[in-house]
Amino acid sequence: MQFMPVTILAVESSCDETSASVCVDGKILSNYIANQTVHEKYGGVVPELASRAHMQNIVPVVDAAIKEANCQLKNIDAIAFTQAPGLIGSLLVGGQFAKSLALSLNKPLIAVHHMQAHVLANLIAEPKPSFPFLCLTVSGGHTQIVVCESPTSMKVIGETIDDAAGEAFDKSAKLLGLPYPGGPLIDKYAKEGDATRFKFPEPQIPDLNFSFSGLKTSILYFLQNAGKSNLFKEEFTATEEEKKEFINNNLADICASIQHRIVTILINKLKKASIETGIYNICLAGGVSANSGLRKAFEEAGKKYHWQTFIPAFEYCTDNAGMIAITGYYKFLAGQFADLSVSSTARAEW
Amino acid sequence: MEWTFSLDNINEVAKEFWKAADGKKVFAFHGQMGAGKTTFIHALCDAKGVKDVVGSPTFSIINEYVYDCEGTKKALFHMDLYRVKDEEEALRAGVEDALFSGFICLVEWPQKAPGIFPEDVVHVYINLINNSTRRLKIADN
Repeated sequence: MQFMPVTILAVESSCDETSASVCVDGKILSNYIANQTVHEKYGGVVPELASRAHMQNIVPVVDAAIKEANCQLKNIDAIAFTQAPGLIGSLLVGGQFAKSLALSLNKPLIAVHHMQAHVLANLIAEPKPSFPFLCLTVSGGHTQIVVCESPTSMKVIGETIDDAAGEAFDKSAKLLGLPYPGGPLIDKYAKEGDATRFKFPEPQIPDLNFSFSGLKTSILYFLQNAGKSNLFKEEFTATEEEKKEFINNNLADICASIQHRIVTILINKLKKASIETGIYNICLAGGVSANSGLRKAFEEAGKKYHWQTFIPAFEYCTDNAGMIAITGYYKFLAGQFADLSVSSTARAEW
Repeated sequence: MEWTFSLDNINEVAKEFWKAADGKKVFAFHGQMGAGKTTFIHALCDAKGVKDVVGSPTFSIINEYVYDCEGTKKALFHMDLYRVKDEEEALRAGVEDALFSGFICLVEWPQKAPGIFPEDVVHVYINLINNSTRRLKIADN
């Protein structure tokens, strides 16, 4: 007996990007992300937040994804969509689209949690981690350590109690006067700098949770003191000119030192998680996994602690429908379908 | 109304804040980057009994939490207008829907879209005093 291939169409619209993907038997055939020309109008600075943009994008994006996969609507076995978390107006566009399509094609609907999908992006291409594995998901809005027992069973064992790692990069850059989004610029300058030159404190947060807001405050003081201290010191208070001069003369070392601290906060918690769970298959996920300092420290820790390390291709690390499709595929195999009464939700709860 | 707080007494100050702000719904938090807006809002959510993970909404714009209010579940919105350019963008992101929902709204970086707030918004100011201490002030209306 021959099994028919399983074809999943997935849509993602939880935040800024509208994306659609087609996946057949766990293989991604297309992963189309809307080319938001609306960004250019704002100089590429402010992301288009509008659900209106998702509404304009969703049909052409789905159409492009289907064409690119060389597939037809009638061959689709199920429609997966991002149910949570995100901006409610944006989620609703993808959710209503998926429901309407499922109803009209008379195909099952699969509701996917965006954060679980980031983790399962590690199952898109070989080599894939074996179960159980740990995943550090780092993005602009999230920082989590997840234990993944199977594609349909995972648990958050640590997360940020304030800023996300990507936000820590962007806001540090802002304090340095770098343009938004500054995270990639910190990475760029850090490559030329000495990471041991300036010391920023490691937060004392219990368990496997993260905190990055204290780092932000210490950078603020550090710059106010023109590098003489990262504590609040009235006697060191620099003028705006002195502050700017200090930043200009030391930018590479400051960026390298900040990046080093953010990365060590992440890697130290990941080490702790590995020791506590006894799991050595370790994955990265999320947009911040593009940071070269993090990738290097992750691979080094892997060698040192005998981890098997995995990082998905970058197109599956930022928000994308490919990861929704792969998650939808595994939920299809497990028979986890949603009925049409399922509602989108802004809450992050699993 | 004014307090000084550090991480040692932040939870007590959060409780006193809710007593002082009894019945008010929309709060705008002013303070420079690193002043402790998210950290204090985290304590305010803990004091309300929010069980969701409270984190920075800088990227998500709107975080929705749930707490138990005398036996009924109510929403609490934690918002951050840092990434928002103006009132128009805030409106399109759904900020106004939350502000006029009748549920409690705690908003960071309100100055990005000052025109979107209801008249009875309560302005709250957080200032750095030293390494560990902050001054918190509820503005008189």
